[in-house]
Amino acid sequence: MSVDAGQEMRRGSGKGRSAAMLVVMVVAVTLLIWAGVHNARERRLKMQEMTAAQASKAAMSMPEANAGAASGGGMAPKLEGKVAPGFSLVDLDGKKVSLAELKGKPVLVNFWATWCAPCKLEMPWFEEFHKKYEGQGLVILGLAADDAGKKAIGDTAYKLGVTYPVLLTDDKVTEAYGGIDYLPESFYVDRGGKVLIETAGMSDGQGGKDQIEANIKKLIAEGQ
Amino acid sequence: MKGLVLMMVAGLALPVGAQFDQPVRGRQYVAYVAESQTVAAGKKVELELRFHVNEGFHVNSHVPASELQIPTGLALERVEGVKVGEASYPAGKAYKVGDDTLNVYTDDFMVTVPVTATAGEHAVDGELKYQACDRAACYPPKTLKVKVLFTAK
Repeated sequence: MSVDAGQEMRRGSGKGRSAAMLVVMVVAVTLLIWAGVHNARERRLKMQEMTAAQASKAAMSMPEANAGAASGGGMAPKLEGKVAPGFSLVDLDGKKVSLAELKGKPVLVNFWATWCAPCKLEMPWFEEFHKKYEGQGLVILGLAADDAGKKAIGDTAYKLGVTYPVLLTDDKVTEAYGGIDYLPESFYVDRGGKVLIETAGMSDGQGGKDQIEANIKKLIAEGQ
Repeated sequence: MKGLVLMMVAGLALPVGAQFDQPVRGRQYVAYVAESQTVAAGKKVELELRFHVNEGFHVNSHVPASELQIPTGLALERVEGVKVGEASYPAGKAYKVGDDTLNVYTDDFMVTVPVTATAGEHAVDGELKYQACDRAACYPPKTLKVKVLFTAK
């Protein structure tokens, strides 16, 4: 073998080693990427499983769940003792109703929605109390926290026999009343414009109805 | 080359949280129970998506008893390599509140979605819209983000 041929062979085998190294590196990098993607996927699944388990656990320890909060239990009152946020809204007939104009009267502000079955359970009770205590100055306002539209809201109120004013509310008012992330919610506003009692949720049956009437009596007696 | 490998290894070592979507704001009453699924590639198959309604709560079924109730519905986004069909929902249970009888899901419920996917791993984003109540109250409509992960072979 000549010297040139030997050098050529060495150069050739050097090139071969480089190509082999490159192949090894490409395979290694591909493996690393695959492992990373696979790991991320597994971790994502685990994370979703953990989130599901945590959500389930959190629900079991949620204080408001099934609270039957007609007397204000369940969620902590946000506005009791504070001045009730003012609003000026229109009723289903387009008539403007302002809370400020009702100062001096006991006012029950009830947030409800067409899709809220517990709300619709207590609304006929409110109607009964509206008739019973109207002579003592009680005003009941039903604020529909709902996207169902005026017609659906009106039809629902009519079906439930509601004759007290039903107002079409907006996000500004619900935000002012603490977000209303729980329906029904009621605010018993005294003659001075302060929230005397705040309730969230309801208890079905006579207990719930009696509690509402007790709250109304307390509201009427306040500041007389 | 060494530098490239090191950069890739460093990339894989990112904290887990950095790879996930931000948590949805607000409390949820339904959870998506993610399960790894393997299906046949290139064929129309059913993906099963399991949801868990928190204890003590119910959500309206896909076909609630009243048009005023907000139905539970799943929408999956389009993704390359996956053809998604119309979801099928289970029948709800009757649930009485006063004089109203609602049609609801409680505990676990399964939504099936027909898909035809190319071979490989797939991730399909989606949203479950629902409205939950318990015995005492109802909660505003919610949207639960889901990520459906499956492998087609």
